[in-house]
Amino acid sequence: MKLISPLFLVLIFLLLSSMQVSADSSLTMSEISSNKNEEIRLSEENETLPEPSKETEEKPDDDLGDITEEEGEEEVVQIADPLYPWNKTMYHFNDKLYFWLMKPLAQGYSAVVPEDIRLSVSNFFDNITTPIRFVSNLFQLKIKDAGNELFRFLYNSTAGVCGLADAAKMDFDIRKKDEDLGQTLGSYGIGHGIYMIWPFLGPSSLRDTVGRVGDYFLNPVHYINPTETAVGITVYDRVNETSFRIGDYEDLKKSAIDPYVSIRDAYVQHRKKKVED
Amino acid sequence: MEKHIGSLILLIVLLIAPISAHAGVPLETVKGHVDKVLDVLRDTSLKGESMKKIKKEKIRFVSEKMFDYTELSRRTLGQNWIRFKTEQQQEFIELYKSILEGAYIDRIVSYTDEKIIFNKENPLSEKTVEVQTTIITKKADIPISYRVIRKEGEWRVYDVIIEGVSLISNYRSQFAQILANKSPEGLLDTLRKKAGKA
Repeated sequence: MKLISPLFLVLIFLLLSSMQVSADSSLTMSEISSNKNEEIRLSEENETLPEPSKETEEKPDDDLGDITEEEGEEEVVQIADPLYPWNKTMYHFNDKLYFWLMKPLAQGYSAVVPEDIRLSVSNFFDNITTPIRFVSNLFQLKIKDAGNELFRFLYNSTAGVCGLADAAKMDFDIRKKDEDLGQTLGSYGIGHGIYMIWPFLGPSSLRDTVGRVGDYFLNPVHYINPTETAVGITVYDRVNETSFRIGDYEDLKKSAIDPYVSIRDAYVQHRKKKVED
Repeated sequence: MEKHIGSLILLIVLLIAPISAHAGVPLETVKGHVDKVLDVLRDTSLKGESMKKIKKEKIRFVSEKMFDYTELSRRTLGQNWIRFKTEQQQEFIELYKSILEGAYIDRIVSYTDEKIIFNKENPLSEKTVEVQTTIITKKADIPISYRVIRKEGEWRVYDVIIEGVSLISNYRSQFAQILANKSPEGLLDTLRKKAGKA
């Protein structure tokens, strides 16, 4: 029994913590080798891949100049997706989870709780997860950012009343530096490996999943006893966060031609930027 | 003392003026368009559901001038662009434009009082520049960059990058997937359905 509850907690946490498609979990890196295999696996009725025709200039029909010359085909970032069948299933699962559970919860919640209070709650959770950002900055030798995180924690915990207000941002314009261990691994040059979608947690990758496990242990909430309380707090945090993003996921789905591919690409691009920052 | 301050200011102006005058065109162009959109959004005479359509129409009008949809389409398709015949390219541009406008204008109309800061310009090549902006919301700061290209003396947007996610790269990955299995006509068909023009 004792063993089961932490496991249960991990699972729940994973599920809940990445409902947002915008994916705050882990990391990116582009150089996944030969995408051809995955490409084939991905396409449901696979046929021949398009011949990558190099001669863009062959068609001099307009004044557009040629793309490859400048800034290139703004480098394509790709990720291997050998778990496609699993991922696609989880994608549908999370989709339903959002529309049937998280969205109604968050809507009801935000109808009752004013925005200012929800913002304070968000600040509070940001403050107590300082260890994740502090350690990640330190591991990346971002000493100044690590110092800022430490200062923010001390200042916001006191002047910001237990972290309810982001006083460090208001008074000194010292902002949160969003770092996690997945990004840290990425900064060491470690690539994503493969794309993975977790139930409840959403899009991730092999590397970012490893980072996430580390983040889990750096999150003080997970040391709360009993486990049920910790789970409850985590769920509450997710609902609160979701309340700020109602509509984002819907818009994303609406604008996409293939939402699954769109989200996968957005995840990789977004994490790449986070690693570079 | 006053004299000193006066000459100091003059010196600063002299130092700064040429730089900003030189660097400002792409940024000012984007800012001009964004300001026009904001004017529409904040126009109190256009309040209410019934006026939403007019609002959208006005924003669409700005977007026609702001974006270079041909460049945007071409870069989205990348190497697949040459697989399309000229008429197919034209149709692609139109469909893609209508899908983008449909999706993003709906989204924009719901914004009201977010503050936008125009940070800086970042030259990418001889003809292209990235204009970096930040939208300040109560919850977070969202970085948005506009990539613009100069053609015939005018700067137009060909890519928008939100929190590191490039619009054209994101669509490219989706189109590439479709074009791996289908002909250009097949892709156009998918787009016609999406745009409601099947």
